[in-house]
Amino acid sequence: MRNIKQIVTLTFMLLLIGFISVTTVLADDSKQRIYDYANLLTDEEIAKLEQLAYEHSEKRETDFIIVISPDADGKDIQNYFEDIYDEIGPGYDKPHGNTVMLTLDRDNRKLYLGSFEGAQDRMDIQRVDLLYEKVTPLLHDDKYYEAFETFIETGSKYMRYIPGVNPESFLFDTWFHILIAIGIGAVIVGTMAYNSGGKVTVNERTYTGDFKVLKQKDIYLTKSVTKRKKPSNNNRGGGGGSGGVTRGGSSYTGRGGSF
Amino acid sequence: MLLHYKCPNCGDDMAFDSESGNLSCSSCGRADSIDDFSDEFITTRLTDEEAKEYVCNNCGAAVITDADTSATSCSFCGAGVVLADRVSGNLAPDMVIPFQISKDQAMEAFKKWCKNGRLTPDGFMTADRIKNITGIYVPFWLYDLHSIADVRAKATKVRTYTQGDYIYTETKYYDVERKIDLTFQKVPVDASEKMNDELMDKLEPYDYGTLKDFKTPYLAGFLAEKYNFNNKDLFPRVKSKVSSYIDKYIGSTINGYSSVQYLEKNVATDERKAYYVLLPVWMVYYDFDKQEHTFAMNGVTGKVVGKPPLSMKKIATWWGGIAAASFVGLKLVSFIIGGEIW
Repeated sequence: MRNIKQIVTLTFMLLLIGFISVTTVLADDSKQRIYDYANLLTDEEIAKLEQLAYEHSEKRETDFIIVISPDADGKDIQNYFEDIYDEIGPGYDKPHGNTVMLTLDRDNRKLYLGSFEGAQDRMDIQRVDLLYEKVTPLLHDDKYYEAFETFIETGSKYMRYIPGVNPESFLFDTWFHILIAIGIGAVIVGTMAYNSGGKVTVNERTYTGDFKVLKQKDIYLTKSVTKRKKPSNNNRGGGGGSGGVTRGGSSYTGRGGSF
Repeated sequence: MLLHYKCPNCGDDMAFDSESGNLSCSSCGRADSIDDFSDEFITTRLTDEEAKEYVCNNCGAAVITDADTSATSCSFCGAGVVLADRVSGNLAPDMVIPFQISKDQAMEAFKKWCKNGRLTPDGFMTADRIKNITGIYVPFWLYDLHSIADVRAKATKVRTYTQGDYIYTETKYYDVERKIDLTFQKVPVDASEKMNDELMDKLEPYDYGTLKDFKTPYLAGFLAEKYNFNNKDLFPRVKSKVSSYIDKYIGSTINGYSSVQYLEKNVATDERKAYYVLLPVWMVYYDFDKQEHTFAMNGVTGKVVGKPPLSMKKIATWWGGIAAASFVGLKLVSFIIGGEIW
């Protein structure tokens, strides 16, 4: 009896310790990642976003930064995006390091988001575009908290994928995997059933005596040439461009626009 | 006329032995080479053409056959007999491939084949309800063919290259002509009405190295059929059989092009020679689940053909297993690419 009691107590303790250690991963690096200069968010929302940004920063080894400005200091949103990065100097690995950042101009309803330095590998222009398309509609409906939450969570999800693949591709969907798996099964079992009665094992080699080409002619008649313009690589992004280098010398990839 | 082979030693019935290739006596074990077997021990009896009835030389009972059978066993005494008038004259085979697999070996091979059936029901795999196994010489025509193919086609070569800001696609057009001479040797076509053509096509190939000049003793102890269709009747079938081979070869002579469009394709095929041969087939009749299933086995190689029953349960199990494995594989790949499973 006593043994069982001991085991139960011990198990309970272990569970409790596990539970505590899971829930206590708090933002303990005292680094600020959410800058709300325009008072769009409540204190509680900021605290939640700080926690979320911290967790995903650790996971992706990239800082997720959100800067909300009332008027972008009167600058164009892309310039503001560049300058604020130079000013704050965020980065997981070092100041002015790997960062994914979103800047917002409250009064002019402008938005710019992108990736800096090493983060550009896993947050390339394709993924920046996808993220932009996800965040903008939420901002348009004034769902600021949801938009920022989506920015961090979706951005972090995209960075999981090895560079170059489209993270929103149906190739990664479970229904697609199920469909293909059932298809492979059907083809293999179908072939097995079809061949269960024996298959033809003779081919043209079996009865071949002699094949020879008696006469052959290949006459060139004419040729036609068509041409089309090379598609250029950097004509995407709704009025946002695709990146550049800040005045401080940090390279970035990004996209912006109105919401 | 009925042929019957009597043992010169003991007088019992002799039959063809697939292992030794000799005519052998099951009573005293005497074996005689078929080439040397003396005619005096082949007893013959002329039958009255009107009666259309064969009488067994051995016991005197009437040998009952259907109209196509050319070799059988006396249903009364079991002696192997050959109906000589059905293997002579126009009906005389040119060559024969003797059985190289004995009845026991055939049984063994069939049982082994049943065990390998991945989708067949368990009860079928034990192969314990084989109703009958019969060795039959099936009539085939072997054709030597000569074909001349005249082909005209329009072909293109497509090349793309980049120059400055433009991508160029250059298409070159060619006029292609080929005249091809093809010969085929001994393409087999089954000449018996009773045999399923599809089944017989799957039995191929037979090793023609073992073709022997036809002698009646090879048939002793087996069933044999005579042809129902002559070489002229079956010529269209052999032509269609080789036409895919011809098309394939024509395709292989026109290469290096991006696209080929045939304008004309004339193939003239002639028969050079047609041989009437008897090829050995073991027919296996198997009762399963109140149904009779028929299988055929190549009497030289042991290859088995014929539709076995399929078990829905096994199909579902295999399907499910393969689908599950594929699903895990796909998830693994997306994990490698996407970092997380879901």
